[in-house]
Amino acid sequence: MPEYKAPLRDMQFVLHEVFKAEQLWQNMPGTEEVNRELADAILEESAKINENLIAPLSQSGHEEGVKWDDGVVTTPKGYPEAFKQLAEGGWGGLAGEPNYGGQNMPKMLVLLFEEMLYSSNIAMGLYLTLTSGAALAIDNHASDDLKEKYLPNMYSGQWAGAMCLTESHAGTDLGMIRTKAEPQADGTYKITGTKIFITGGDHDLTENVIHLVLAKLPDAPAGSKGISLFLVPKVKVNDDGSLGERNGVNCGSIEHKMGINASATCVMNFDGAEGYLVGEINRGLQGMFTMMNYERLSVGIQGLSAAQTAYQWSCEYARERLQSRAPTGPVNQAGPADPIVVHPDVRRMLLTQKALVEAGRAFAVYVGKQLDVSKFGDGDAKAAAAGMVELLTPVAKAFLTDKGFEGTVLGQQCYGGHGYVREWGMEQLVRDVRIAQIYEGTNGIQAMDLMGRKVAANGAKNLQALIAEMRAFSADSASVAGMDEFLNPLNDAVDNLESLTKFVLEQAGSDANAIGAAANEYLHVMGFTMFSYMWAMMCRTVLSGESQQGEEFDKAKLQTARFFVQRLLPQASALSASIRNGSSTLMDIAEEAFV
Amino acid sequence: MPQYKAPLRDINFVLKNVLNANEHFASLAGREEVSEDLLDAILSEGAKFSENVLSPLNQVGDQEGCVWSEGGVKTPTGFKEAYQQFAEGGWPSMTADARFGGQGLPNSLGLVVTEMVSSACWAWGMYTGLSQSAARLLENYASEDLQNEYLPKMTDGTWGGTMCLTEPHCGSDLGILRTKAEANADGSYNVTGTKIFISGGEHDMMENIIHLVLARIDGAPAGTKGISLFLVPKFLPDADNNIGERNGVSCGSIEHKMGIKASATCVMNFDGAKGFLVGEENRGLQAMFHMMNSARLGTALQGLSAGEASFQGALEYARERLQMRSLSGPKNPEGPADPLIVHPDVRRMLLTQKALAEGSRAFIYWVAQLVDTFYFSGDEQARKDAEELSELLTPIAKAFVTETGLESANYGMQVFGGHGYISEWGMEQIVRDLRISTLYEGTTGIQALDLLGRKVMGTGGKQLMVFTKIIHKFCEENASNPELEPFISKLAELNKEWGEVTMKLGEKAMQNPDEVGAASVDYLMYSGYISLAYMWARMAAAAADGAADDEFLKAKLQTAKFYYDRLLPRTESHKLSMLNGADSLMEMPEEAFAF
Repeated sequence: MPEYKAPLRDMQFVLHEVFKAEQLWQNMPGTEEVNRELADAILEESAKINENLIAPLSQSGHEEGVKWDDGVVTTPKGYPEAFKQLAEGGWGGLAGEPNYGGQNMPKMLVLLFEEMLYSSNIAMGLYLTLTSGAALAIDNHASDDLKEKYLPNMYSGQWAGAMCLTESHAGTDLGMIRTKAEPQADGTYKITGTKIFITGGDHDLTENVIHLVLAKLPDAPAGSKGISLFLVPKVKVNDDGSLGERNGVNCGSIEHKMGINASATCVMNFDGAEGYLVGEINRGLQGMFTMMNYERLSVGIQGLSAAQTAYQWSCEYARERLQSRAPTGPVNQAGPADPIVVHPDVRRMLLTQKALVEAGRAFAVYVGKQLDVSKFGDGDAKAAAAGMVELLTPVAKAFLTDKGFEGTVLGQQCYGGHGYVREWGMEQLVRDVRIAQIYEGTNGIQAMDLMGRKVAANGAKNLQALIAEMRAFSADSASVAGMDEFLNPLNDAVDNLESLTKFVLEQAGSDANAIGAAANEYLHVMGFTMFSYMWAMMCRTVLSGESQQGEEFDKAKLQTARFFVQRLLPQASALSASIRNGSSTLMDIAEEAFV
Repeated sequence: MPQYKAPLRDINFVLKNVLNANEHFASLAGREEVSEDLLDAILSEGAKFSENVLSPLNQVGDQEGCVWSEGGVKTPTGFKEAYQQFAEGGWPSMTADARFGGQGLPNSLGLVVTEMVSSACWAWGMYTGLSQSAARLLENYASEDLQNEYLPKMTDGTWGGTMCLTEPHCGSDLGILRTKAEANADGSYNVTGTKIFISGGEHDMMENIIHLVLARIDGAPAGTKGISLFLVPKFLPDADNNIGERNGVSCGSIEHKMGIKASATCVMNFDGAKGFLVGEENRGLQAMFHMMNSARLGTALQGLSAGEASFQGALEYARERLQMRSLSGPKNPEGPADPLIVHPDVRRMLLTQKALAEGSRAFIYWVAQLVDTFYFSGDEQARKDAEELSELLTPIAKAFVTETGLESANYGMQVFGGHGYISEWGMEQIVRDLRISTLYEGTTGIQALDLLGRKVMGTGGKQLMVFTKIIHKFCEENASNPELEPFISKLAELNKEWGEVTMKLGEKAMQNPDEVGAASVDYLMYSGYISLAYMWARMAAAAADGAADDEFLKAKLQTAKFYYDRLLPRTESHKLSMLNGADSLMEMPEEAFAF
């Protein structure tokens, strides 16, 4: 299995040269102290720990998996030690609230750490990022007492966190959950019920696991309006902060899965466990949703990360593996055959991965920037960024994971038969990333969220703002020499997105199924449009002389952009045509007639 | 774990209403006497065996896998017993030559049974499928002595067979293979070398394994023109054709793979093993290619059968799983939520699966009939056309059906949400097992080069014209049928475009040989979508008459419409992408792929 190498140059190019992060940070209270030097130091340290410590545990974790024995969960060899090192390095509190020991770093930067973490080892990464996610929910919604008691140890990685939503009969449809919370005289609650698919629900990495649990009070209204959020520690915490007695929460079993074998996916039994209300009664889902934008972006990054690793490894293999001669004549005359990178179709697979990964990285940072402005910014900019976050989060989650899966499959394909054999590591990437299309809201749910809630529900207001932004960018870039070949396709893509949106919204006026029938393809059209925008931005950086990465790097950027617009962007036309053919063929067929 | 149910209604519809199987059988010399009763009996017995004996082995096989020891390879529990039943039922001899005890039934009929076996348990089916392919090759190429010695026991299933091509340094590029064959005085050869990725190279299901091995005779020309084919048995037969002395061939290890864990993928060591020349010296690849065409169609079947199994599982789940309400109002008001199948996006996934499985079934069955015609028709022109067509369509079937099969299997898993990722539900196994199909028997890229380079450009478009003429004629004949209007005009338009696109690519390729490889996979997928459009139009034509009062036939027309409206637009993207040419693939220097 090859080694992972963090793509630091491309990260720095995107962060500093395309999005001019330093300028942004210095203009927002809360991030003024972050500059390029600090950001680069963080990226370099992150690269080191991920390349040297986290990545080498990926394959052994895949082979060994997590063990469950009578309620005790044991992670693979080396995991507890590595987690401890991550924690001690402060990586768990990178984005955390400074009052409780967090470092308050902007998401634009933190997400590049996440990219490296997941590229190295998704299974290991999840323990850390779910802890950060739980901490974020606590920070946003819990009382000061709870924050003081729990956040410092979560940011420091001494304790881990887990999110407990799903029950066996309720996944997408959380309104149906049954876990109940009975109020006690002392203000606490007794939590009883069974949760499934709880990532990191129990493990041996930390001395405590802090669960955020969705449950219903006895008199709660039915459906999603009767759900409250509770903090339920595995081990109760005494008033002085020391660990007390074990709480009534246990891991009943772990799942055997397609991948992320080193991540414990737990059935969690709550038997009258002591829990503490987070936020208001019956407003638990709202508490979850603030965090969900971050979580969804993070899951999207898993797609990007796995594809980045697959790209690196398949590139390496394609340059070494000798097989057949180039169609235009031998290029490796002394050898028995040419390296497979000479074959046009192998290049197609490599460039597809490259074009998707690099646009994906830029897109993730772009969404990260919106998150940062919506958190640290003020006034109109803050509100506009918040709208953009709402609009783009489902795209980031679903498009990055769908394309990430495609990328890993292409990487595996470059290896031929060896891609199917475990020792080469390619099949693990495919298996590990496959879950990202499913959890944190399936990609179908993301598409519904985008089309229904984020576009249709507000009359496409946020979308119009985005379209205006892209048009302004295009107009502003037209004077930069060499931009035409990237701006023309972008302009077409934006026009298409606008007219397609109009088409679906009109249909939706008379057809309740129109949105659901268009949603998946629509999300992908939007994804391709955003990637087109990202490529145009990157090209503008290069063509206006703002790249500091050197001539070879710059040239490769333009070439990859060209490949994207010529060979991948045309996919948007099929997706659009499919939508324009309407919803009737999806809905006409009777349920009984499917087989 | 989904219980497989053979789709007999659809199989019957395709064979009888679309492809006129009885007429077809009657046109084959020596195969005319397949009566409708016999056909029905074979289908229903094949269904029973697959559903009751094989389907229950599928998950066990994945969990246990094959176990290697010095003494050989042990297959999972129940595999050997199932094979004994299969052999006793006379299945291995179905399509074998009557001279050696075979039943002489047409291959297109054997393939239908193979589809059922494959859906139920692909890994098990590989042992018998490869054995039968090896027997077919010997029927066509081996000397009479070898045939008399080996074929009776291969025909009745006592002995199995393999094909040994790949070596560690050569997969797609067989010209560089190193295994050598030294002539002995008695006319036999000593074969020495190492082969990898040999499916069924060693196992405990059959008493002897007959390897067909590619090797170089001392002094043979370099490259593909110096490769000969040898029969190398695991046990040398004694004078009575019982197994005698053990030959110098052994299994060094088995691979740990992403899937098909119950299929032993072996490293085979030949240490001066006794081998016998099959066919002429240095013409081994020609003989192998013969086998390869049937193996490629067999691999296409893997895409279909996995897609079918996944569709069945997903459909059942979508009807039972209650989650959320329909957007057009509750459909299951008494229940806590509606079944998944009410949601448009779930229907999109299910209908994509259905359209691909049913379209691919008709397509593969048709190609199999063409292969029958080529071998057994008395009509010289029909034979010639069938040869051209089956050569053209085999790479399309292999690559298109496996690529789209993988898409379908992923949808099946996606419909299950988080449960799709969990091993016990069986959906992720379908994806893992199927993933190999775009790699072995020539990767998708290799099939695409074969199609565009050899079959289309190599014949100056002649083979393609055989097909486009058939489609043209079909469109003319059905132009006046109003029921078929939504299909015929689109099909005729695409059929015309197919020729034009091919011409354009031909012109480009004259200027630059890289254009072929750069366009090839897009071209293959484009061709596949048109081929399936033709099959769907034929199915629609067969269904149109009775559709008014038959739910099955009505669903056929609806699925055809879905295919044309929602999947067929993909041709446009492939067209645009390939016509944009090779430059964006070839410009970038190898070093610039990663910084």
